[in-house]
Amino acid sequence: MTTVFRRSLFASTAVGLLAGPALAQELTVWAWDPNFNGAAMEAAAAAYQEAGHPDFVLDYQEFAREEIEQKLQTQLAAGTMDGLPDIVLIEDYSAQKFLLSFPGAFQPLTDVIDYSGFADYKVALATVDGETYSMPFDSGVTGLFYRSDLIEQAGFTAEDMQDLTWDRFIEIGEAVTEATGTPMISLDIDDPGLFVVMLQSTGSWFFNEDGSLNIEGNEDFRAALADYQQILQSDMWKPVNSWAEYQASLAGDVASTVTGVWITGTIKAAEMPGQWAVAPIPRVEEAANGTNYSNLGGSSWYVLNSSDDKELVYDFLNTVWGSDVDFYQDILVGQGAVGSLLAAREGDAYQTSDDYFGGQPVWQDFSSWLGQVPAVDYGIFTYEVRSAIASNLPALADGGDLDEAIGNIAAEAAVLTQ
Amino acid sequence: MTDVAATEIDREAARPTSRAAVRPPRGPDRDRIGPVVTYVVLSLAAFLSVFPFFWMVVGTTNTSFDIVRGKSWFGDQLLVNIRNLAEQVDLPRVLFNSFYIAIISTVATLLVSSLAGYAFEIFRHKWRERIFAALLLMLSIPFAALMVPLFVMMAGAGLINTYAAIILPTVANIFVIFYFRQATKAFPHELRDAAKIDGLKEWQIFLRVYMPVMRSTYAAATIIVFTLTWNNYLWPLIVLQTNDMKTMVLTISSLNSAYTPDFGVIMVATVITTLPTLVIFFLLQRLFVQGMLGSVK
Repeated sequence: MTTVFRRSLFASTAVGLLAGPALAQELTVWAWDPNFNGAAMEAAAAAYQEAGHPDFVLDYQEFAREEIEQKLQTQLAAGTMDGLPDIVLIEDYSAQKFLLSFPGAFQPLTDVIDYSGFADYKVALATVDGETYSMPFDSGVTGLFYRSDLIEQAGFTAEDMQDLTWDRFIEIGEAVTEATGTPMISLDIDDPGLFVVMLQSTGSWFFNEDGSLNIEGNEDFRAALADYQQILQSDMWKPVNSWAEYQASLAGDVASTVTGVWITGTIKAAEMPGQWAVAPIPRVEEAANGTNYSNLGGSSWYVLNSSDDKELVYDFLNTVWGSDVDFYQDILVGQGAVGSLLAAREGDAYQTSDDYFGGQPVWQDFSSWLGQVPAVDYGIFTYEVRSAIASNLPALADGGDLDEAIGNIAAEAAVLTQ
Repeated sequence: MTDVAATEIDREAARPTSRAAVRPPRGPDRDRIGPVVTYVVLSLAAFLSVFPFFWMVVGTTNTSFDIVRGKSWFGDQLLVNIRNLAEQVDLPRVLFNSFYIAIISTVATLLVSSLAGYAFEIFRHKWRERIFAALLLMLSIPFAALMVPLFVMMAGAGLINTYAAIILPTVANIFVIFYFRQATKAFPHELRDAAKIDGLKEWQIFLRVYMPVMRSTYAAATIIVFTLTWNNYLWPLIVLQTNDMKTMVLTISSLNSAYTPDFGVIMVATVITTLPTLVIFFLLQRLFVQGMLGSVK
């Protein structure tokens, strides 16, 4: 349908008959997860319609995250923009890969969007050579979600859980595991997500500014990996084999987890009201600029250069995503989506406290942590380096030498990123 | 193929038991232990091969949470899961897309590729073997390498996001051409000579003599091609751009991509996707076995 529509649009433009305004009010968007990203986009479309654009039509097309990447890659490599959407959702870790691999495919928005209102780190990750390309969307700002009842049972208080270092977290974790019989965390040894969180909290990443690997000799990387090895060698974690199993483990099998704010929906689905609380994540103490804030996942909207009505795209993005605080309340309540617009925290939904988390104002907390997440450049090869790390984690868990593991990771990453 | 093997093993396994019934046992328990071991091994193998299907069907009746927790017995969520799937996916449309693409592809592929296979075997030409060897060489080119040029071609023809874009590249299937050529080696040339004497033209021979005689080959190829096109994922993913063109396989993939996938719904979709290939297989099973054995009656 869209293709037909677009082709007729091209055709009519070609013969010099400009398409009428009614036709031009449609935007095509590709994203994944209809209940989260799709629903947020639908809500944005509804907000835009209410803001004086009743003819606006959102054409939402659903593809998996990897599928969107695969489709974009094939099509941009083929050099044909036929049928590409106006707006596409790209995961933050992959943003630089697309921006650098296909220069000119995406529209810079530096002159269109006022980025000062967004979380710094979200803007930095979509910036190449001084141009920013994204409308920042959901944040993966991290928190330490813990079972307040189990912590208490082991003799700790909510105050003990604030401003932690990983060393202290492991101490508490082992005590909780022993006292309650419930492991402190669940870990999938093939997924280095937690380590990635720890690394970003130090303000460091896998790459130097010029894109070269920054693994060997990176003190922050070493410090974070040393803490991670301690976790792996402790008795406080329960192994899980998949993402689904990890999610299921949150319903009573573990006393805490460190992950992105988007897990809130899963934790609430476990129906254990009053038994959970959230604190900032532990800090890598040995790192020079270690913080208690980090990020995991998250994604942003990008405008394809082939979009045939950029004015409409800009107006839509600015009107809703760039400034509509009420809209951000809607998607927080409806989808549990924490956006990156800092002003959103002034809205009602962000102000409310949540009985599920013992009356804690969790959204205020998350949005204040959001502004403090260290900005890093995710580079082109984040997933390649992650897999190099993952393949060396079992050795670390078995007590392998830290520097040897770092050497191996660097060597494998060098091969994978060639 | 599995079924042929299974029947043969079954027969052998059954033999000692029937003999044992007629003959008094020679060694102590010798004939009794043999079949027991055989049956235990066979049951285990049967269990292992059937278990994924069993688990899939059980999954359709459970909540996502129970599935992840490894619940392996039937629950009461079947209707809920079906309703959720129907709410999230335009099932009639998606099923229509899948069937349309698979059926047209299968018919077109069988027709074109069997004609090619027939021609390669029956007609002599000095370039025949070289062309055929070149075709077989092309089999080794991975699809990933063809994808971008193919996309450029389809975009040039204005076929992006159409059924034709999926069906056309499958029609000349080198493997099926090869398969028909091999099968045609067993086609009795006397039949063609006799038909010629009776005054049939080449296309009539193909339609009235070759096709009926080779029906088991066609049946086997139908199963292979239908399954291939029904399960085709990568190319439809690349060339289809909208939800209303999606196939079942693409739909399962998007269901699976949610941050919190609903595995109950995914299991229902998977069962629905598996059924047509199973039905086709069972319908054509007898002929398929003959086709695989290469027998022509």
